[in-house]
Amino acid sequence: MNVTLSDPAFWSRFQFGFTLTYHYLFPQLTMGLAWFLVYWKWRALRTGDEKYNDAVRFWAKIFGLNFAVGVVTGIPMEFQFGTNWAGFSRYAGGVIGQTLAMESMFAFFLESAFIGALIWGEKRLGPRYHFLAAVAVALGSWISGFFILVTNAFMQHPVGHRVEANGSLSIDSLGSYLLNPWALVQFTHNQVAALVTGSFVVAAMGAFYTLRWRHPVQARLYLRAGTAVGLIASVLVAVPTGDQQAKMVGNHQPVTLAAMEGRFVGGPMAGVAVIGQPNVAARRLDNPIEVPGALSFLAYGTFKSYVHGLQEYPETTWPDNIELLYYSFHLMITLGTLFILLMAYAGLQNWRGRLESSTGLLWVLMLAFPFPYIANTLGWMTAELGRQPWLVYGLFRTNQGHSTVVSSGDTIFTLLGFIGLYFVLGLLFLYLVGREIGHGPDDDVRVNPGDLQVGRAVPVRETVGTL
Amino acid sequence: MIPIWYAVVSFMLIAYVVLDGRNFGAGMLHWLVAKTPEERRQVIAAIGPLWSWHEVWLVGFGGILVAVFPRLMASAFSGYYLALFLILWGLILRGISIEVGGHINDRQWQGFWDFVFVCSNLLLATLFGAAAGNLARGVPLDAQGNFSMPFFTDFTVHGQVGLLDWYTISVAVFTVVLLAAHGATYLTLKTEGPVHDRSRQYMRYLWAAVVPLLLLISFESWVVRPDLPARAAANPVWWLGVLVVLGSAITVFSGLSARREMRAFIGSNFLLAGLLAAGGAALYPVMLHSTLAPENSLTAQAVAASPRALALASMWWPVAFMLAIAYFVFISRRYVGKVSVQRDSQGFY
Repeated sequence: MNVTLSDPAFWSRFQFGFTLTYHYLFPQLTMGLAWFLVYWKWRALRTGDEKYNDAVRFWAKIFGLNFAVGVVTGIPMEFQFGTNWAGFSRYAGGVIGQTLAMESMFAFFLESAFIGALIWGEKRLGPRYHFLAAVAVALGSWISGFFILVTNAFMQHPVGHRVEANGSLSIDSLGSYLLNPWALVQFTHNQVAALVTGSFVVAAMGAFYTLRWRHPVQARLYLRAGTAVGLIASVLVAVPTGDQQAKMVGNHQPVTLAAMEGRFVGGPMAGVAVIGQPNVAARRLDNPIEVPGALSFLAYGTFKSYVHGLQEYPETTWPDNIELLYYSFHLMITLGTLFILLMAYAGLQNWRGRLESSTGLLWVLMLAFPFPYIANTLGWMTAELGRQPWLVYGLFRTNQGHSTVVSSGDTIFTLLGFIGLYFVLGLLFLYLVGREIGHGPDDDVRVNPGDLQVGRAVPVRETVGTL
Repeated sequence: MIPIWYAVVSFMLIAYVVLDGRNFGAGMLHWLVAKTPEERRQVIAAIGPLWSWHEVWLVGFGGILVAVFPRLMASAFSGYYLALFLILWGLILRGISIEVGGHINDRQWQGFWDFVFVCSNLLLATLFGAAAGNLARGVPLDAQGNFSMPFFTDFTVHGQVGLLDWYTISVAVFTVVLLAAHGATYLTLKTEGPVHDRSRQYMRYLWAAVVPLLLLISFESWVVRPDLPARAAANPVWWLGVLVVLGSAITVFSGLSARREMRAFIGSNFLLAGLLAAGGAALYPVMLHSTLAPENSLTAQAVAASPRALALASMWWPVAFMLAIAYFVFISRRYVGKVSVQRDSQGFY
């Protein structure tokens, strides 16, 4: 323990990991939710139905809170490249600086110019500009995702660079850097995963209001939209994007794939472990239940394909926490499978016209929304733990990248500061979002007590004239 | 190529200070110009819809700094470690205080967030001022281009200096006064009623204080860095900056006496920009001066990315910049005129 307490590289990793994981809880919702706002705003323009505007006004408040926390927790991320990772910035800044700058210039400028218009500006802008503001914010958040994933993809699979005389990296081809095949696969996988989070949150809100018999028109809108998008996104996150991502790892980081599957010995007909515990000390997977040949097939296309084992590689190139990597990956897969099953069942019930009367299903939908956050986090843990021990895969090790002038004490101090501040920020966020949910959409619609049959609640707006 | 990128990076920072400076100023004056909860909502409404648009210029500055001067970013950010984290935490608290204060219509809730708002803006203005002072004075860079500074040492400006000394503190005080004047000018333009009248009063006092302080700071800078005046005088951009400062000072004061609020505000923006441009021009080509040995100083040449990286960045940056200007025009047209709490607040209850 003394080793890690005085190890600045470890604490810089911990701080970056903590602040990034926390930060990403917010953009993953806004990237998913943004397209719901665009869709509803578009429907409001097309149909003139005020329920769509009610939905946008309600979700814009939640979006705004998420966006604000996302912005303020995002700025420390960019600064940490310099404060804690000076070695990395000196080494690779000539490459990754391009996309960090492009992200701020192309994406953040667009987002922050129009976020105020989206959240504060409906009365100033009028419906058309308000719709355009929603589109601008949605596009901005996805462009931002693209550039940051290009940056990460370079760390996973460096392309488009050259080595300068002083040993540092410099951009050579902007085209091959931006169109890194790893980036394209990772971008689609990550963005549909954000849509999963967004749709689960929307569906959970619909389920919550349906179960409480409140805001029936809005609840139906959220439930339908959330479960429909949720099903499509849950499938896409597995096939083809997740599948392609795994193939990418298999082709370019075979040692990582071996670690993700707890596979120490190489060979053909490699199986996928449904259950099993990697035992690194004994170099084996304990208590495995495997689907034979599945890994060979998924990673390389045939059941007979050879899949490498960890023991074929020097231990200095093994990911430094194989157990955590293995469980992150496997738990992510498990959750992703459950998402598809849940949303497929919800889609079936919707098709049978029973979605709003299936109390059990509504409870599950209401309580399921945290799990896409967990799955997204596990996915990023898989990507980042799998990249270890490299900061830039195959070129630059993580323990070469931290700032030599920053002591472990400095970093522990700022890490504790972030933990405290982010704890308070989290409480504040949950309190305010909870308050908005408690207040609900301002839809002027109440359930007429005479119509309290689940799924058949009639909005008072239609009957109020006769009362 | 490198002087152009030095200008671009400086421009991004100047744009940030000009845009967010009004929020720092308005934030510091918040309690002084707005006494009732309703008046305070007016100040927040003048800032609220646009604060993230203003703050994004700092992010843009950070991004372009990594792209074109990666080794400067590495040295400066790791060297200013704790000060930078104080700035980051200040920015977090400032942003949150604007966003959540308006969510609940309750005196105590809003009073608390107003307190956070005032304190964080004061902290940020002070720290940015001290940072500017540090850039002018220099930092204890070693031969490897690294430095690490405590908050203060013996308060002198040579050798093993700290973040704060007599010079950087006085620059911080000047910055607080200057940004408060800038913020008061903005509030005068954007508000009505008692907030407007008080802002106008403060604007007059603060601008009157800026002039002697500016002369004092110029003299101090000459004492701290005797090498600067000769270099500045040889740089035409410095003369341009000085001319802009003089011209915009006249504009501000004529706007003050003629009660032309827009004119005063335009002058205020240009005054800040001219001042920073003159400062940047005086420092060029050194980006980080060493107080230990002049040969350790980091020049723009030494910290720049490869020529290829600069060439590639100059292909896309102008496009991105034109887009940013387009957004800027759109926003300015939408938010022209006085704010109205009813129209420019998030709905709270």
